[in-house]
Amino acid sequence: MDGKVRKPKQHQQKHSGPQAEKKKLKKHGASTETDERKRNPKAFAVQSAVRMAKTFHRAQDIKAKKHHIPLVDRTPLEPPPIVVVVVGPPKVGKSTLVRCLIKNFTRQKLGEISGPVTIVSGKKRRLTFMECNNDINTMIDLAKVADLVLMLIDASFGFEMETFEFLNICQVHGFPRIMGVLTHLDSFKNNKTLRKTKKNLKHRFWTEVYQGAKLFYLSGMVYGEYQTQEVKNLGRFISVMKFRPLVWQTSHPYVLVDRMEDLTDPEKVRIDPKCDRTASLYGYLRGTHLKNKGQIHIPGVGDFQVKDVNFLPDPCPLPDAQKKRALNEKEHAVYIDLPASHVNQLQAEMQPTTELVQSLIDTHATLDAKMAASKVSLFSGSATLDPTDISEQSGEQALWDPKTQRERRKVLFAEEMKDDDEEDDEDEEEESEGGDEGESSGEDDLSEEEDNEEDCLSAFLKKSRGDSVKASGPPVKKSKVEAESERPVFADSEDELEMSEHEKEEEDEDEEGRTPCFILFVSTGALKWKENLQLKASQAFLRQQESAPNLRKLVYGSVVEVEDDEDEEELGGLFRVSRPQNNKRFQANDLDSSHFHPDTTHNWDLEEMLNSIRDCFVTGKWEEGQDAATLLKEDEELYGDFEDLETGEVQKGQKSEADSDDDGDNEVEQSEVKMDEEESRKNKRLEKKRRLKERFNAEYDDGDATYFDDLKEELQKQAELNRAEFEDVDDETRVQYEGFRPGMYVRLEISSLPCEFVTSFDPHYPIILGGLGSSEGNVGYLQMRLKKHRWHDRILKTRDPLILSLGWRRFQTIPLYHIEDHNGRHRLLKYTPLHMHCGASIWGPITPQGTGFLALQSLTGIKPNFRIAATGVVLDLDKSVTVVKKLKLIGYPYKIFKNTSFIKGMFNTVLEVAKFEGASVRTVSGIRGQIKKALSTPPGAYRATFEDRLLMSDIVFLRSWFPVAVPQLYNPVTSLLLPIGQKDSWSGMRTLGQLKHDLGIRYKPNSDSLYKPITRAPRRFNKLHIPKELQKALPFKNKPKQQQPKGKTSRDLQRPSVIREPHERKVSKALLQALSTVHNYNRKKTHMVQHSKHKEFLKEKGKQEDAKLKRQKEARKKLYRVMGQMDQKKQRSSLKGQPK
Amino acid sequence: MASEGLSYDGCNFFRQRLVLSTLSGKRVKIKNIRSKEDDPGLREFEASFIRLLDKVTNGSRIEINQTGTVLFYQPGLLYGGSVEHECNPQRSIGYYLEALLMLGAFMKTPLKATLRGVTNDRTDPTVDLLKSTALPLMKKFGIDGEGFELKVVKRGMAPGGGGEVVFTCPVRRTIRPIQLTDPGKIKRIRGVAYSARVSPQMANRIVDSARGILNQFLPDIYIYTDHMKGANSGKSPGFGLTLVAETLNGCFLSAEMTSTPQGQGDPVLPEDLGRNCAKLLLEEVHRGGCVDSTNQSLALLLMTLGQQDVSKVLLGPLSPYTIEFLRHIRDFFQIMFKIEVQKPLEDERKGGDKVLLTGVGVGYSNINKTLK
Repeated sequence: MDGKVRKPKQHQQKHSGPQAEKKKLKKHGASTETDERKRNPKAFAVQSAVRMAKTFHRAQDIKAKKHHIPLVDRTPLEPPPIVVVVVGPPKVGKSTLVRCLIKNFTRQKLGEISGPVTIVSGKKRRLTFMECNNDINTMIDLAKVADLVLMLIDASFGFEMETFEFLNICQVHGFPRIMGVLTHLDSFKNNKTLRKTKKNLKHRFWTEVYQGAKLFYLSGMVYGEYQTQEVKNLGRFISVMKFRPLVWQTSHPYVLVDRMEDLTDPEKVRIDPKCDRTASLYGYLRGTHLKNKGQIHIPGVGDFQVKDVNFLPDPCPLPDAQKKRALNEKEHAVYIDLPASHVNQLQAEMQPTTELVQSLIDTHATLDAKMAASKVSLFSGSATLDPTDISEQSGEQALWDPKTQRERRKVLFAEEMKDDDEEDDEDEEEESEGGDEGESSGEDDLSEEEDNEEDCLSAFLKKSRGDSVKASGPPVKKSKVEAESERPVFADSEDELEMSEHEKEEEDEDEEGRTPCFILFVSTGALKWKENLQLKASQAFLRQQESAPNLRKLVYGSVVEVEDDEDEEELGGLFRVSRPQNNKRFQANDLDSSHFHPDTTHNWDLEEMLNSIRDCFVTGKWEEGQDAATLLKEDEELYGDFEDLETGEVQKGQKSEADSDDDGDNEVEQSEVKMDEEESRKNKRLEKKRRLKERFNAEYDDGDATYFDDLKEELQKQAELNRAEFEDVDDETRVQYEGFRPGMYVRLEISSLPCEFVTSFDPHYPIILGGLGSSEGNVGYLQMRLKKHRWHDRILKTRDPLILSLGWRRFQTIPLYHIEDHNGRHRLLKYTPLHMHCGASIWGPITPQGTGFLALQSLTGIKPNFRIAATGVVLDLDKSVTVVKKLKLIGYPYKIFKNTSFIKGMFNTVLEVAKFEGASVRTVSGIRGQIKKALSTPPGAYRATFEDRLLMSDIVFLRSWFPVAVPQLYNPVTSLLLPIGQKDSWSGMRTLGQLKHDLGIRYKPNSDSLYKPITRAPRRFNKLHIPKELQKALPFKNKPKQQQPKGKTSRDLQRPSVIREPHERKVSKALLQALSTVHNYNRKKTHMVQHSKHKEFLKEKGKQEDAKLKRQKEARKKLYRVMGQMDQKKQRSSLKGQPK
Repeated sequence: MASEGLSYDGCNFFRQRLVLSTLSGKRVKIKNIRSKEDDPGLREFEASFIRLLDKVTNGSRIEINQTGTVLFYQPGLLYGGSVEHECNPQRSIGYYLEALLMLGAFMKTPLKATLRGVTNDRTDPTVDLLKSTALPLMKKFGIDGEGFELKVVKRGMAPGGGGEVVFTCPVRRTIRPIQLTDPGKIKRIRGVAYSARVSPQMANRIVDSARGILNQFLPDIYIYTDHMKGANSGKSPGFGLTLVAETLNGCFLSAEMTSTPQGQGDPVLPEDLGRNCAKLLLEEVHRGGCVDSTNQSLALLLMTLGQQDVSKVLLGPLSPYTIEFLRHIRDFFQIMFKIEVQKPLEDERKGGDKVLLTGVGVGYSNINKTLK
């Protein structure tokens, strides 16, 4: 068979003839013309201009739709770690995944994880993992701070309500990146069902997130962990992921707290365990710049004023930007707070303090004293505390890979142990002194410090800069006063002084931080920072020397108070010292005017004075770059093609000058100069090129540059400026100008925290410090647009309390629902519409318009249905509301005139009536009227006119709109303050339905309001009675006629009935028939005749008509011809020209 | 709520405090207002200012004690709309208008304020000055458009008043950052010489004398004479001059001078006034910067209320009022400006030292404006 396979007949190509010619031509043409359009122009010719316009329009539309409003890129150079939130219902594998990911990145195994874990995942990226438990409070809080959400889904079960709830929460609060992860895939035995489930879940997930959203599959577990390769892939995805900025997050600073420390005076706690606490909270700052002493909100706790913020060295710094492909293992730093141990420590603190403590705690609570106190209390907690102790304690934590830990620790303590010891020793000395002296030690410290500062200050004022110039040394402890005097400190510049003070505090805090309650992997970072200080300080000093008076100090003052006698000093003839309020009583009540009175020393009659400002005018001298002459010359250089010779000459001349200069100098200089010259020439060339290019672009590309491009460029420029402006300023000062920038590791001290915050602290619940904008700390009325969630199974009732998540906050409030009428009136609704948006007014925290919110009815318990009741957006903020409800006032007529009636029962006093004069009223039957004037008696009665006469049975009502007050309930959800284990059981005010249900009250309706079967008695109307006299006077037409029924006709008037005889009947029948037949025949005949006659007539008439038409047509034709001729004649004559 | 109020002493910088309090939403308490003086407490004009503030806001709470020495102010939301105010003639309309300029762009509805009272006096910037300098400055921050106008309907000189000014301002949600570091050279000088209830010749005499000085620098000088008659001339006689120098980059420097009010102090000759005012303008040019000394605080406020972007502005020496304003900004918004002194080069003849202020906006957005 195979041998007999027949080849199909080959196609025979033609090599000659017209076909072949054509093909050849085509082939050649194709090789030269690659462009479709040129090769086949006909196919691309414009067929229809309209369609072309349409296609163009559409293309432009699509192009424009792709544009987003460009935003200024405000991401910091060193961004904070990315918050990766792992969510999912319980038992889905969240903790395992976090553990696996951490292991993947750091090669360290962590046991129990509670709270956020920060790791370095790459050269430029850090990640903070946070697990979200099944509490809806946590879900809401974490959705607000998440950058990336890993949404775990149990594939063997399918989607659970929590997943959808979380998705909806995300949608409201700005959509972070969401990645789905399917787990429990090993439970599928059948491969086909597995594939099917995967597909189904994937498509459902896509509809929820977006088409093509990434869904990961973790196929199975190996030794209780996910497969390494899959985790690795997931890790890669996470570490290259890009994020879009979310509006709320980019406009508010926030901190996901890593660590909490109670700073409360232990004595106070001992006396009153329920006293308000002071705590410091640590974490990376995210979002935007945080201002010191700003207001923050802690979701689940409340609003607080930040007492103090300072930045700390990064505990988990990014590896330096070296040219390395990958990080080695040691660089994958991990930072974890250990809140659990913190709790232990707390318990230790609560034990009765020792005598030492009591003697040392200074009730005046200066910073020093407090630091000392907190330190000592630690001693009391764990008998003796020294660095080895710390290391031991941390060693107990089995979380760490022992190798890495030891290494790091070594670095930490090798350098710090020494001064630690020293400091500790000194401290102890100090303290023992303090013990001798009693409580005055703290004050002593203070006064000494002050003295010191004053010295510095006076030095500054005398401008004895030269004497006091010293090199800056490492930060000095406050307690060592003598040492400080020896140590070189800047005495002349306030900045340095402040800075050094900060350092001191910093140092103190560091020390304090070295408690057993946490393990901080800070070592090199901190020290490096300190090492740099010296350099920085000296640089700063040089800068200071250059600029004459320290303006910043003049304006913003400083920690040190300036002495009063030097008040009126003028500095540099420029700035009068204007004092802060407190010092200058007499100025406080001065005239409040923005006028700036001129300097009296300037005498504008003098010529030199006038000369000093000559260049401010266009007539004065111009700068090198802007002078018209130079500009012209440059232009010539650029475009001077034919004038090349001239300019060349000039340049030569310059060069020769330079040469002659060079000759005089020695060789080294010469070479330098040469280099410089070369450089400058190169620069010049480059500059020239750039200008040329710019000009070219301006000329030719201008058409392309759209408004959008311009805007983008402008914003780009702004972003560059934002980055560059404070780049070279040291962090201490920079923080004052722009606030703490995102990416910094900050410590926030907050006082007056409720004690439950500390006592029932559960690290599994995230603590978020959300910064508030300028007036977001206030409360007011909010008007919002709200829609009941389509998955929530019941509509919402006005005045039922609702828990809202808005901005950072979660709070309970009482909304009023309303809808806008066509005339702009907000009419109250009793319930939310089923499928429509409606307005809602609440009393709540002022939040910028456009912020989304979601509403829940309760936070407690697990319910099978969807918990998110409504979603919406804030529209308007105000201090008053405009919601009204309809109110019908009812009155009854008590006296009726023609169109006027007296109405009572609507009002109670004359005054009330007076207010409603002129208002329109209406009766139930629809007669309209107007209130005229109040009557004296009975009170509240009034005269009203109507368009018709009323009946006494009519009811008059007045339709009015009554403003409704929004109940002022703002009840923050304090779920974090609940005891451990019950944090999801917050319950606030109950809804009416719930209350009734709980109390077993059934609604008892008014019996009048119940529906009953309607029984209508037939109405009887009386006869219309017309008096006889009137009847007589009426014309006959109007006289009542059928009034009385016909009486019985009398017998004699009744006609007898005729009964025929049979013969009579027969005759009459035959005869009548015959007669009618004859009659019919006759009638038919005449009709026939008539018809034929009429036919004739019509025919005749038609003929006449035709003739007439023909005649008319002829006539018309004639007429038109004549007219046409005339027209032609006219035209011809007009073409010839106007007849003169 | 945990927001703490701020507390101040004395009546000085009264407007700054109330304006900043209104914008930042922080409550403020001012104590010891003229407590040591024979006539303690708030003055009429301050009360009038509070009333104006009450008119443009909704839900503000103002508490004043019996003697008027303590004031507590809890700001409401800025409402705007049509406002008519009878300004107390102790201070000129400029006193009230300066505050409205600061607040105008952050209202719920566009502001249309009709202010009646003294339009020109010696203590406060006159309406003419604000019209010619503050408005172009605000335009640089993106506050512009059709409804942005300041119109002098009637002129009213110092003791009597009787003038009328209409200020309309559109609403903005955000403010643009600015980079005003180069004022450019002055290309023209304009001015208004006004007179009311005096001989119309006065204005001409002023113009002549002012030109005499300014012509040494620039030929492009034009000073309008504005003589109001009849009902538009207010209740008191007086005259004055406002001069504005415009630079190539659109910066405006201004100076002004008004005759002494009738019956108070020595009368001024129009020639002297013109000459002195011209000298004042030279002084202002000497100070230099992109914003003249009167509007320094306005520029700084709008920089503060911008987006979280860097703004830069070059100013002349800071006036005491501005210095205090900077302190107040720090109190209310926790914003500090980087202040750098720019010394003039040796061979440059451009007046005195300049100050470059650099700051980052707080990311303020108008929370009063309704979203549709």
